[in-house]
Amino acid sequence: MNMFIEQLLNGVAVGAIYALITLGLALVYGVLRILHVAHAAIYTAGAYVGLFVYRATGSIPLATLAAMAVCGVLGILIERAVYSPLLKYPPYVPLISSIAMFLGFQELFRLLAGPYIIAFNARLPLSDAFIGHVRISAPILIIYVTSTLVLIALWLLLYRTEIGLAIRATSQDRAIASTMGMDARSLISLTFFIGSAVAAIAGILVGMHYNQVYPTMGTVPAYKSLALIVVGGLGSLPGAVFASLLLGVLETLLIGYANVPLPRDSLAFIAMIAVLLWRPQGLFGRKGGR
Amino acid sequence: MDEIILEVRAVCMQFGGLHAVENVSFVQRRGEILGLIGPNGAGKTTLFNVISGVYRPTSGSVLFKGRDTTGFPPHRMAELGLGRTFQIVRPFPDLTVIENVMVPLHLARYRNILASFTSWNTKTIRSEALRLLEETGIADLAELRAGLLPLGNQRKLELARALALQPALLLLDETFSGLRHEEIDIIANLVRKVREKGISILLIEHNMKVAMGLSDRVVVLDHGRLLAEGDPESVRRNPAVIEAYLGKGSMSYAS
Repeated sequence: MNMFIEQLLNGVAVGAIYALITLGLALVYGVLRILHVAHAAIYTAGAYVGLFVYRATGSIPLATLAAMAVCGVLGILIERAVYSPLLKYPPYVPLISSIAMFLGFQELFRLLAGPYIIAFNARLPLSDAFIGHVRISAPILIIYVTSTLVLIALWLLLYRTEIGLAIRATSQDRAIASTMGMDARSLISLTFFIGSAVAAIAGILVGMHYNQVYPTMGTVPAYKSLALIVVGGLGSLPGAVFASLLLGVLETLLIGYANVPLPRDSLAFIAMIAVLLWRPQGLFGRKGGR
Repeated sequence: MDEIILEVRAVCMQFGGLHAVENVSFVQRRGEILGLIGPNGAGKTTLFNVISGVYRPTSGSVLFKGRDTTGFPPHRMAELGLGRTFQIVRPFPDLTVIENVMVPLHLARYRNILASFTSWNTKTIRSEALRLLEETGIADLAELRAGLLPLGNQRKLELARALALQPALLLLDETFSGLRHEEIDIIANLVRKVREKGISILLIEHNMKVAMGLSDRVVVLDHGRLLAEGDPESVRRNPAVIEAYLGKGSMSYAS
Protein backbone atom coordinates (compact mmCIF):
# COMPACT_ATOMS: atom_id res chain seq x y z
CA MET A 1 0.00 0.00 0.00
CA ASN A 2 2.77 2.41 0.90
CA MET A 3 4.40 1.59 -2.40
CA PHE A 4 1.17 2.48 -4.15
CA ILE A 5 0.87 5.81 -2.36
CA GLU A 6 4.49 6.66 -3.05
CA GLN A 7 3.98 5.89 -6.72
CA LEU A 8 0.81 7.95 -6.76
CA LEU A 9 2.63 10.91 -5.23
CA ASN A 10 5.42 10.44 -7.78
CA GLY A 11 2.85 10.42 -10.53
CA VAL A 12 1.31 13.68 -9.36
CA ALA A 13 4.79 15.25 -9.31
CA VAL A 14 5.50 14.07 -12.86
CA GLY A 15 2.09 15.38 -13.91
CA ALA A 16 2.77 18.74 -12.26
CA ILE A 17 5.94 19.10 -14.34
CA TYR A 18 4.04 18.22 -17.50
CA ALA A 19 1.48 20.83 -16.52
CA LEU A 20 4.10 23.56 -16.20
CA ILE A 21 5.46 22.80 -19.68
CA THR A 22 2.09 22.28 -21.33
CA LEU A 23 0.59 25.48 -19.88
CA GLY A 24 3.10 27.60 -21.77
CA LEU A 25 2.25 25.77 -24.96
CA ALA A 26 -1.49 26.22 -24.37
CA LEU A 27 -1.03 29.94 -23.65
CA VAL A 28 0.94 30.44 -26.85
CA TYR A 29 -1.53 28.40 -28.86
CA GLY A 30 -4.28 30.56 -27.42
CA VAL A 31 -2.91 33.90 -28.57
CA LEU A 32 -1.19 32.90 -31.83
CA ARG A 33 -2.77 29.57 -32.88
CA ILE A 34 0.73 28.20 -33.38
CA LEU A 35 2.01 24.82 -32.22
CA HIS A 36 5.14 26.08 -30.52
CA VAL A 37 7.38 23.01 -30.64
CA ALA A 38 10.45 25.09 -29.78
CA HIS A 39 8.86 25.62 -26.36
CA ALA A 40 10.64 22.45 -25.24
CA ALA A 41 13.96 23.98 -26.30
CA ILE A 42 13.21 26.92 -24.01
CA TYR A 43 12.58 24.42 -21.23
CA THR A 44 15.99 22.86 -21.87
CA ALA A 45 17.59 26.30 -21.97
CA GLY A 46 15.99 26.97 -18.59
CA ALA A 47 17.58 23.84 -17.15
CA TYR A 48 21.03 24.84 -18.46
CA VAL A 49 20.84 28.45 -17.32
CA GLY A 50 19.58 27.30 -13.93
CA LEU A 51 22.38 24.76 -13.66
CA PHE A 52 25.17 27.19 -14.52
CA VAL A 53 23.86 30.01 -12.37
CA TYR A 54 23.44 27.57 -9.49
CA ARG A 55 27.04 26.41 -9.88
CA ALA A 56 28.26 29.99 -9.96
CA THR A 57 26.21 31.28 -7.05
CA GLY A 58 25.03 28.24 -5.09
CA SER A 59 21.58 29.75 -4.82
CA ILE A 60 18.54 27.93 -6.20
CA PRO A 61 16.20 30.95 -6.05
CA LEU A 62 18.76 33.08 -7.89
CA ALA A 63 19.27 30.33 -10.49
CA THR A 64 15.51 30.07 -10.99
CA LEU A 65 15.04 33.82 -11.40
CA ALA A 66 17.94 34.02 -13.86
CA ALA A 67 16.57 31.10 -15.89
CA MET A 68 13.09 32.64 -15.94
CA ALA A 69 14.44 35.97 -17.13
CA VAL A 70 16.68 34.47 -19.83
CA CYS A 71 13.99 32.12 -21.09
CA GLY A 72 11.30 34.80 -20.99
CA VAL A 73 13.42 37.06 -23.18
CA LEU A 74 14.28 34.12 -25.45
CA GLY A 75 10.56 33.44 -25.85
CA ILE A 76 9.87 37.05 -26.85
CA LEU A 77 12.77 36.95 -29.33
CA ILE A 78 11.41 33.80 -30.96
CA GLU A 79 7.94 35.36 -31.20
CA ARG A 80 9.18 38.66 -32.63
CA ALA A 81 11.88 37.33 -34.95
CA VAL A 82 10.28 34.12 -36.21
CA TYR A 83 6.56 33.74 -35.55
CA SER A 84 5.34 37.30 -36.14
CA PRO A 85 6.73 37.54 -39.68
CA LEU A 86 5.34 34.07 -40.50
CA LEU A 87 1.81 34.57 -39.20
CA LYS A 88 0.52 35.59 -42.62
CA TYR A 89 1.32 32.12 -43.98
CA PRO A 90 -0.68 28.92 -43.42
CA PRO A 91 -0.16 27.39 -39.96
CA TYR A 92 2.20 24.67 -41.14
CA VAL A 93 4.82 27.29 -42.04
CA PRO A 94 5.35 28.53 -38.46
CA LEU A 95 5.06 24.90 -37.33
CA ILE A 96 7.92 23.79 -39.58
CA SER A 97 10.02 26.76 -38.51
CA SER A 98 9.27 25.87 -34.91
CA ILE A 99 10.49 22.30 -35.37
CA ALA A 100 13.59 23.62 -37.11
CA MET A 101 14.26 25.98 -34.24
CA PHE A 102 13.81 23.16 -31.77
CA LEU A 103 16.42 21.02 -33.54
CA GLY A 104 18.72 24.01 -33.97
CA PHE A 105 18.56 24.82 -30.28
CA GLN A 106 19.41 21.22 -29.37
CA GLU A 107 22.54 21.43 -31.51
CA LEU A 108 23.37 24.77 -29.96
CA PHE A 109 23.13 23.27 -26.46
CA ARG A 110 25.38 20.42 -27.61
CA LEU A 111 27.98 22.88 -28.88
CA LEU A 112 27.85 25.16 -25.87
CA ALA A 113 27.52 22.71 -23.01
CA GLY A 114 28.85 19.48 -24.50
CA PRO A 115 27.03 16.35 -25.68
CA TYR A 116 26.97 14.67 -22.27
CA ILE A 117 24.73 14.53 -19.25
CA ILE A 118 25.62 17.04 -16.57
CA ALA A 119 24.58 16.32 -12.99
CA PHE A 120 22.67 19.07 -11.26
CA ASN A 121 23.70 18.06 -7.72
CA ALA A 122 21.52 20.62 -6.03
CA ARG A 123 21.70 20.80 -2.28
CA LEU A 124 18.11 21.39 -1.35
CA PRO A 125 16.97 23.36 1.66
CA LEU A 126 14.63 20.49 2.53
CA SER A 127 15.00 16.94 3.69
CA ASP A 128 12.80 13.97 2.85
CA ALA A 129 9.43 14.12 4.54
CA PHE A 130 7.56 11.21 6.07
CA ILE A 131 3.81 10.89 6.42
CA GLY A 132 3.38 7.70 8.38
CA HIS A 133 5.56 5.25 6.52
CA VAL A 134 5.23 7.04 3.21
CA ARG A 135 8.40 8.82 2.20
CA ILE A 136 8.27 11.92 0.06
CA SER A 137 11.73 12.76 -1.25
CA ALA A 138 12.98 16.32 -1.06
CA PRO A 139 13.02 16.93 -4.84
CA ILE A 140 9.42 15.77 -5.08
CA LEU A 141 8.50 18.02 -2.20
CA ILE A 142 10.12 20.91 -4.05
CA ILE A 143 8.16 20.03 -7.18
CA TYR A 144 4.92 20.05 -5.21
CA VAL A 145 5.57 23.37 -3.53
CA THR A 146 6.89 25.11 -6.63
CA SER A 147 4.32 23.89 -9.08
CA THR A 148 1.45 24.64 -6.69
CA LEU A 149 2.76 28.16 -6.23
CA VAL A 150 3.25 28.66 -9.97
CA LEU A 151 -0.20 27.32 -10.81
CA ILE A 152 -1.85 29.54 -8.21
CA ALA A 153 0.12 32.55 -9.40
CA LEU A 154 -0.83 31.88 -13.03
CA TRP A 155 -4.45 31.38 -12.10
CA LEU A 156 -4.53 34.67 -10.18
CA LEU A 157 -2.80 36.46 -13.01
CA LEU A 158 -5.05 35.10 -15.76
CA TYR A 159 -8.41 35.07 -14.02
CA ARG A 160 -8.18 37.84 -11.47
CA THR A 161 -6.15 40.67 -12.98
CA GLU A 162 -6.87 43.05 -15.82
CA ILE A 163 -3.86 41.90 -17.75
CA GLY A 164 -5.17 38.35 -17.48
CA LEU A 165 -8.56 39.41 -18.77
CA ALA A 166 -6.77 41.13 -21.64
CA ILE A 167 -4.75 37.99 -22.43
CA ARG A 168 -7.86 35.82 -22.35
CA ALA A 169 -9.78 38.27 -24.52
CA THR A 170 -6.88 38.43 -26.97
CA SER A 171 -6.69 34.66 -27.15
CA GLN A 172 -10.41 34.41 -27.90
CA ASP A 173 -10.42 37.03 -30.63
CA ARG A 174 -7.35 39.08 -31.38
CA ALA A 175 -9.03 41.48 -33.84
CA ILE A 176 -11.86 42.32 -31.48
CA ALA A 177 -9.55 42.69 -28.51
CA SER A 178 -7.58 45.32 -30.38
CA THR A 179 -10.69 47.27 -31.28
CA MET A 180 -11.42 47.18 -27.55
CA GLY A 181 -8.21 49.08 -26.97
CA MET A 182 -5.84 46.23 -26.23
CA ASP A 183 -2.38 46.26 -27.72
CA ALA A 184 -2.34 42.71 -29.06
CA ARG A 185 1.38 42.78 -29.92
CA SER A 186 2.49 43.59 -26.39
CA LEU A 187 0.04 41.08 -24.94
CA ILE A 188 1.39 38.35 -27.22
CA SER A 189 4.94 39.14 -26.16
CA LEU A 190 3.88 39.11 -22.53
CA THR A 191 2.24 35.73 -23.05
CA PHE A 192 5.45 34.33 -24.54
CA PHE A 193 7.40 35.74 -21.62
CA ILE A 194 5.13 34.13 -19.05
CA GLY A 195 4.92 30.76 -20.81
CA SER A 196 8.69 30.62 -21.33
CA ALA A 197 9.50 31.64 -17.76
CA VAL A 198 7.24 28.87 -16.48
CA ALA A 199 8.95 26.38 -18.83
CA ALA A 200 12.29 27.45 -17.32
CA ILE A 201 10.99 26.54 -13.87
CA ALA A 202 9.94 23.14 -15.20
CA GLY A 203 13.42 22.65 -16.71
CA ILE A 204 15.12 23.33 -13.41
CA LEU A 205 12.73 21.08 -11.48
CA VAL A 206 13.33 18.20 -13.88
CA GLY A 207 17.08 18.81 -13.80
CA MET A 208 17.07 18.60 -10.01
CA HIS A 209 14.62 15.71 -9.77
CA TYR A 210 16.46 13.39 -12.17
CA ASN A 211 19.79 15.06 -11.38
CA GLN A 212 20.66 15.40 -15.04
CA VAL A 213 20.69 18.09 -17.69
CA TYR A 214 21.48 17.21 -21.32
CA PRO A 215 20.96 18.72 -24.77
CA THR A 216 18.11 16.45 -25.87
CA MET A 217 16.17 16.48 -22.60
CA GLY A 218 13.45 18.47 -24.40
CA THR A 219 12.67 15.82 -27.00
CA VAL A 220 10.17 13.76 -25.05
CA PRO A 221 8.48 16.80 -23.43
CA ALA A 222 8.25 18.41 -26.90
CA TYR A 223 5.97 15.82 -28.38
CA LYS A 224 4.33 14.81 -25.15
CA SER A 225 3.18 18.33 -24.40
CA LEU A 226 1.79 18.60 -27.92
CA ALA A 227 -0.23 15.45 -27.28
CA LEU A 228 -1.34 16.91 -23.96
CA ILE A 229 -2.74 20.17 -25.31
CA VAL A 230 -4.72 18.12 -27.82
CA VAL A 231 -6.05 15.89 -25.05
CA GLY A 232 -6.89 18.88 -22.85
CA GLY A 233 -8.52 20.80 -25.69
CA LEU A 234 -6.38 23.13 -27.79
CA GLY A 235 -5.82 26.39 -25.97
CA SER A 236 -7.74 25.34 -22.86
CA LEU A 237 -5.64 26.08 -19.77
CA PRO A 238 -7.66 24.02 -17.25
CA GLY A 239 -7.68 21.23 -19.83
CA ALA A 240 -3.89 21.38 -20.17
CA VAL A 241 -3.39 21.13 -16.40
CA PHE A 242 -5.93 18.35 -15.97
CA ALA A 243 -4.59 16.28 -18.87
CA SER A 244 -1.02 16.70 -17.59
CA LEU A 245 -1.79 15.57 -14.05
CA LEU A 246 -3.85 12.66 -15.33
CA LEU A 247 -1.08 11.52 -17.64
CA GLY A 248 1.57 11.79 -14.92
CA VAL A 249 -0.47 9.64 -12.57
CA LEU A 250 -1.48 7.11 -15.22
CA GLU A 251 2.07 6.71 -16.52
CA THR A 252 3.43 6.11 -13.05
CA LEU A 253 0.67 3.82 -11.85
CA LEU A 254 0.03 1.77 -14.98
CA ILE A 255 3.58 1.33 -16.09
CA GLY A 256 5.61 1.91 -12.94
CA TYR A 257 3.28 0.18 -10.49
CA ALA A 258 0.99 -2.18 -12.37
CA ASN A 259 3.73 -3.13 -14.84
CA VAL A 260 1.56 -2.82 -17.92
CA PRO A 261 3.90 -3.92 -20.73
CA LEU A 262 3.87 -0.69 -22.71
CA PRO A 263 6.59 1.89 -23.25
CA ARG A 264 5.98 4.68 -20.76
CA ASP A 265 6.00 7.43 -23.35
CA SER A 266 3.36 5.74 -25.48
CA LEU A 267 0.50 6.53 -23.11
CA ALA A 268 0.33 10.21 -24.09
CA PHE A 269 -0.21 9.19 -27.70
CA ILE A 270 -2.71 6.49 -26.95
CA ALA A 271 -4.63 9.16 -25.04
CA MET A 272 -4.29 11.59 -27.91
CA ILE A 273 -5.55 9.10 -30.47
CA ALA A 274 -8.44 8.14 -28.22
CA VAL A 275 -9.38 11.79 -27.74
CA LEU A 276 -9.16 12.51 -31.44
CA LEU A 277 -11.43 9.55 -32.15
CA TRP A 278 -14.10 10.15 -29.54
CA ARG A 279 -13.87 13.75 -28.43
CA PRO A 280 -11.88 15.70 -31.01
CA GLN A 281 -12.40 19.03 -29.27
CA GLY A 282 -10.44 17.68 -26.28
CA LEU A 283 -11.52 16.99 -22.71
CA PHE A 284 -12.14 20.66 -21.89
CA GLY A 285 -12.66 22.00 -25.39
CA ARG A 286 -15.90 23.33 -26.76
CA LYS A 287 -17.52 21.71 -29.75
CA GLY A 288 -16.95 23.82 -32.82
CA GLY A 289 -14.70 26.08 -30.78
CA ARG A 290 -11.77 27.78 -32.37
CA MET B 1 -12.95 72.41 -37.11
CA ASP B 2 -14.54 71.20 -33.93
CA GLU B 3 -17.83 70.17 -35.47
CA ILE B 4 -16.15 67.72 -37.83
CA ILE B 5 -15.55 64.38 -36.14
CA LEU B 6 -14.26 62.38 -39.09
CA GLU B 7 -12.73 63.31 -42.37
CA VAL B 8 -11.78 60.80 -45.02
CA ARG B 9 -9.44 62.40 -47.56
CA ALA B 10 -8.85 60.82 -50.95
CA VAL B 11 -8.48 57.35 -49.45
CA CYS B 12 -7.35 54.56 -51.78
CA MET B 13 -7.01 50.97 -50.68
CA GLN B 14 -5.54 48.36 -53.01
CA PHE B 15 -5.09 44.66 -52.43
CA GLY B 16 -2.68 43.50 -55.09
CA GLY B 17 -4.33 44.64 -58.31
CA LEU B 18 -7.75 45.07 -56.73
CA HIS B 19 -8.88 48.63 -56.04
CA ALA B 20 -11.22 48.07 -53.12
CA VAL B 21 -11.55 51.76 -52.34
CA GLU B 22 -10.64 54.45 -54.84
CA ASN B 23 -10.18 58.07 -53.99
CA VAL B 24 -13.03 58.38 -51.52
CA SER B 25 -13.48 61.60 -49.55
CA PHE B 26 -16.24 62.68 -47.19
CA VAL B 27 -16.70 64.37 -43.86
CA GLN B 28 -18.90 63.56 -40.92
CA ARG B 29 -20.11 66.24 -38.54
CA ARG B 30 -20.15 65.74 -34.80
CA GLY B 31 -23.45 64.29 -33.61
CA GLU B 32 -24.44 63.18 -37.08
CA ILE B 33 -25.72 59.76 -38.12
CA LEU B 34 -24.07 59.13 -41.47
CA GLY B 35 -25.17 56.17 -43.53
CA LEU B 36 -22.63 54.40 -45.72
CA ILE B 37 -24.47 52.40 -48.33
CA GLY B 38 -23.76 50.64 -51.58
CA PRO B 39 -24.09 47.26 -53.27
CA ASN B 40 -22.10 44.25 -52.11
CA GLY B 41 -18.42 44.64 -52.83
CA ALA B 42 -18.64 48.43 -52.92
CA GLY B 43 -15.82 48.74 -50.40
CA LYS B 44 -17.84 49.74 -47.35
CA THR B 45 -16.29 47.33 -44.87
CA THR B 46 -12.85 47.98 -46.33
CA LEU B 47 -13.38 51.66 -45.66
CA PHE B 48 -14.43 50.83 -42.09
CA ASN B 49 -11.23 48.86 -41.66
CA VAL B 50 -9.19 51.80 -42.94
CA ILE B 51 -10.93 54.22 -40.57
CA SER B 52 -10.60 51.94 -37.55
CA GLY B 53 -6.94 51.18 -38.21
CA VAL B 54 -7.10 47.55 -39.34
CA TYR B 55 -5.67 48.57 -42.73
CA ARG B 56 -3.31 51.37 -43.56
CA PRO B 57 -4.64 53.02 -46.74
CA THR B 58 -2.53 52.76 -49.88
CA SER B 59 -2.85 56.52 -50.15
CA GLY B 60 -4.97 59.27 -48.69
CA SER B 61 -5.57 60.05 -45.06
CA VAL B 62 -8.06 59.75 -42.24
CA LEU B 63 -8.62 62.58 -39.78
CA PHE B 64 -10.38 61.74 -36.54
CA LYS B 65 -11.25 64.60 -34.18
CA GLY B 66 -9.16 66.88 -36.37
CA ARG B 67 -6.06 64.74 -35.97
CA ASP B 68 -4.35 62.73 -38.69
CA THR B 69 -4.78 59.14 -37.58
CA THR B 70 -3.84 57.42 -40.83
CA GLY B 71 -2.29 54.05 -40.07
CA PHE B 72 -2.87 54.17 -36.30
CA PRO B 73 -3.34 50.61 -34.98
CA PRO B 74 -6.85 49.63 -33.84
CA HIS B 75 -6.08 49.84 -30.14
CA ARG B 76 -4.87 53.43 -30.53
CA MET B 77 -8.06 54.34 -32.39
CA ALA B 78 -10.07 52.78 -29.58
CA GLU B 79 -8.17 54.89 -27.06
CA LEU B 80 -8.92 58.00 -29.10
CA GLY B 81 -12.63 57.26 -28.91
CA LEU B 82 -13.57 55.09 -31.85
CA GLY B 83 -15.89 52.18 -31.16
CA ARG B 84 -17.04 49.65 -33.71
CA THR B 85 -19.20 46.60 -34.19
CA PHE B 86 -18.70 43.90 -36.78
CA GLN B 87 -20.76 42.56 -39.62
CA ILE B 88 -20.42 39.07 -38.21
CA VAL B 89 -21.03 39.32 -34.48
CA ARG B 90 -18.00 38.38 -32.48
CA PRO B 91 -18.46 38.42 -28.72
CA PHE B 92 -15.75 36.76 -26.66
CA PRO B 93 -17.62 33.44 -26.58
CA ASP B 94 -16.15 32.04 -23.38
CA LEU B 95 -16.68 35.15 -21.30
CA THR B 96 -20.04 35.97 -19.77
CA VAL B 97 -22.14 38.80 -21.17
CA ILE B 98 -21.13 41.18 -18.42
CA GLU B 99 -17.45 40.21 -18.67
CA ASN B 100 -17.59 41.01 -22.37
CA VAL B 101 -18.57 44.55 -21.49
CA MET B 102 -16.01 44.75 -18.70
CA VAL B 103 -13.17 44.09 -21.14
CA PRO B 104 -13.35 47.49 -22.88
CA LEU B 105 -14.22 49.25 -19.62
CA HIS B 106 -10.64 48.70 -18.56
CA LEU B 107 -9.35 50.50 -21.60
CA ALA B 108 -7.96 53.50 -19.78
CA ARG B 109 -5.81 51.25 -17.67
CA TYR B 110 -4.38 48.82 -20.20
CA ARG B 111 -1.67 51.33 -20.92
CA ASN B 112 -0.59 51.41 -17.33
CA ILE B 113 1.44 48.27 -16.66
CA LEU B 114 1.15 48.41 -12.89
CA ALA B 115 -2.60 49.00 -12.85
CA SER B 116 -2.91 46.03 -15.18
CA PHE B 117 -1.87 43.68 -12.43
CA THR B 118 -4.72 44.69 -10.18
CA SER B 119 -8.10 43.03 -10.04
CA TRP B 120 -10.54 43.53 -12.88
CA ASN B 121 -13.63 42.36 -11.11
CA THR B 122 -14.30 45.49 -9.07
CA LYS B 123 -17.68 46.79 -7.92
CA THR B 124 -17.44 50.04 -9.87
CA ILE B 125 -16.54 48.34 -13.13
CA ARG B 126 -19.26 45.74 -12.63
CA SER B 127 -21.97 48.29 -11.94
CA GLU B 128 -20.82 50.37 -14.89
CA ALA B 129 -21.05 47.29 -17.11
CA LEU B 130 -24.48 46.50 -15.73
CA ARG B 131 -25.63 50.05 -16.49
CA LEU B 132 -24.58 49.59 -20.12
CA LEU B 133 -26.39 46.27 -20.30
CA GLU B 134 -29.52 47.92 -18.91
CA GLU B 135 -29.21 50.64 -21.50
CA THR B 136 -29.12 48.06 -24.27
CA GLY B 137 -31.80 45.93 -22.65
CA ILE B 138 -29.89 42.73 -21.91
CA ALA B 139 -29.14 43.19 -18.20
CA ASP B 140 -31.08 40.04 -17.32
CA LEU B 141 -28.63 37.99 -19.41
CA ALA B 142 -25.53 39.34 -17.65
CA GLU B 143 -24.24 36.05 -16.27
CA LEU B 144 -24.85 33.97 -19.38
CA ARG B 145 -21.95 32.85 -21.57
CA ALA B 146 -21.92 35.26 -24.49
CA GLY B 147 -21.59 32.51 -27.09
CA LEU B 148 -25.04 31.22 -26.15
CA LEU B 149 -27.00 34.39 -26.96
CA PRO B 150 -29.24 34.54 -30.02
CA LEU B 151 -28.23 36.94 -32.77
CA GLY B 152 -30.37 39.92 -31.75
CA ASN B 153 -29.01 39.92 -28.22
CA GLN B 154 -25.47 39.42 -29.46
CA ARG B 155 -25.91 42.57 -31.54
CA LYS B 156 -27.07 44.43 -28.45
CA LEU B 157 -24.06 43.08 -26.60
CA GLU B 158 -21.76 44.32 -29.34
CA LEU B 159 -23.36 47.72 -29.03
CA ALA B 160 -22.93 47.73 -25.25
CA ARG B 161 -19.33 46.69 -25.66
CA ALA B 162 -18.60 49.44 -28.16
CA LEU B 163 -20.33 52.00 -25.93
CA ALA B 164 -18.14 50.92 -23.02
CA LEU B 165 -15.24 52.58 -24.82
CA GLN B 166 -17.07 55.88 -24.34
CA PRO B 167 -16.58 56.55 -28.01
CA ALA B 168 -16.95 59.88 -29.76
CA LEU B 169 -17.69 58.00 -32.98
CA LEU B 170 -19.35 54.64 -33.34
CA LEU B 171 -18.96 52.54 -36.50
CA LEU B 172 -21.82 50.08 -36.96
CA ASP B 173 -21.27 47.42 -39.60
CA GLU B 174 -24.64 45.96 -40.61
CA THR B 175 -25.97 45.90 -37.10
CA PHE B 176 -29.48 45.21 -38.38
CA SER B 177 -28.89 42.37 -40.81
CA GLY B 178 -30.60 39.08 -40.10
CA LEU B 179 -32.90 40.53 -37.45
CA ARG B 180 -36.69 40.44 -37.13
CA HIS B 181 -38.73 43.64 -37.53
CA GLU B 182 -39.34 44.10 -33.81
CA GLU B 183 -35.66 43.71 -33.07
CA ILE B 184 -34.73 46.15 -35.82
CA ASP B 185 -37.02 48.75 -34.25
CA ILE B 186 -35.56 48.18 -30.79
CA ILE B 187 -31.99 48.53 -31.99
CA ALA B 188 -32.84 51.52 -34.20
CA ASN B 189 -34.24 53.24 -31.13
CA LEU B 190 -31.09 52.35 -29.25
CA VAL B 191 -29.00 53.94 -31.97
CA ARG B 192 -31.07 57.12 -31.78
CA LYS B 193 -30.63 57.22 -28.01
CA VAL B 194 -26.88 56.83 -28.43
CA ARG B 195 -26.84 59.79 -30.79
CA GLU B 196 -28.79 61.88 -28.30
CA LYS B 197 -25.85 61.44 -25.95
CA GLY B 198 -23.72 63.25 -28.51
CA ILE B 199 -22.04 60.20 -30.02
CA SER B 200 -21.64 60.39 -33.80
CA ILE B 201 -22.55 57.27 -35.73
CA LEU B 202 -21.29 55.98 -39.04
CA LEU B 203 -23.30 52.99 -40.18
CA ILE B 204 -23.15 50.48 -42.98
CA GLU B 205 -26.60 49.16 -43.72
CA HIS B 206 -28.14 46.98 -46.38
CA ASN B 207 -31.71 47.45 -45.28
CA MET B 208 -32.56 50.66 -47.16
CA LYS B 209 -35.59 51.45 -45.07
CA VAL B 210 -33.52 51.35 -41.90
CA ALA B 211 -30.56 53.19 -43.41
CA MET B 212 -32.69 55.96 -44.86
CA GLY B 213 -34.82 56.22 -41.75
CA LEU B 214 -31.91 56.57 -39.36
CA SER B 215 -29.37 58.59 -41.29
CA ASP B 216 -29.11 62.36 -41.38
CA ARG B 217 -27.00 62.08 -44.48
CA VAL B 218 -25.98 59.22 -46.74
CA VAL B 219 -22.77 58.44 -48.61
CA VAL B 220 -23.11 55.96 -51.48
CA LEU B 221 -20.20 53.85 -52.65
CA ASP B 222 -20.09 51.76 -55.78
CA HIS B 223 -17.13 49.69 -56.91
CA GLY B 224 -14.94 51.49 -54.42
CA ARG B 225 -15.85 54.95 -55.68
CA LEU B 226 -17.98 57.64 -54.16
CA LEU B 227 -21.20 57.69 -56.17
CA ALA B 228 -23.38 60.15 -54.33
CA GLU B 229 -23.65 62.04 -51.09
CA GLY B 230 -26.48 63.96 -49.50
CA ASP B 231 -29.65 63.74 -47.43
CA PRO B 232 -31.61 60.48 -47.73
CA GLU B 233 -34.34 62.04 -49.86
CA SER B 234 -32.04 63.41 -52.56
CA VAL B 235 -29.97 60.23 -52.63
CA ARG B 236 -33.10 58.16 -52.93
CA ARG B 237 -34.05 60.12 -56.04
CA ASN B 238 -30.57 60.15 -57.54
CA PRO B 239 -30.79 58.22 -60.84
CA ALA B 240 -27.14 57.14 -60.69
CA VAL B 241 -27.75 55.58 -57.30
CA ILE B 242 -30.87 53.78 -58.41
CA GLU B 243 -29.11 52.41 -61.42
CA ALA B 244 -25.99 51.27 -59.60
CA TYR B 245 -27.87 49.86 -56.73
CA LEU B 246 -30.79 48.01 -58.15
CA GLY B 247 -30.62 48.28 -61.90
CA LYS B 248 -32.67 50.59 -64.06
CA GLY B 249 -36.33 50.99 -63.41
CA SER B 250 -36.38 49.60 -59.91
CA MET B 251 -37.67 51.97 -57.28
CA SER B 252 -39.10 49.38 -54.94
CA TYR B 253 -36.41 49.90 -52.32
CA ALA B 254 -37.91 53.28 -51.55
CA SER B 255 -41.14 51.79 -50.32
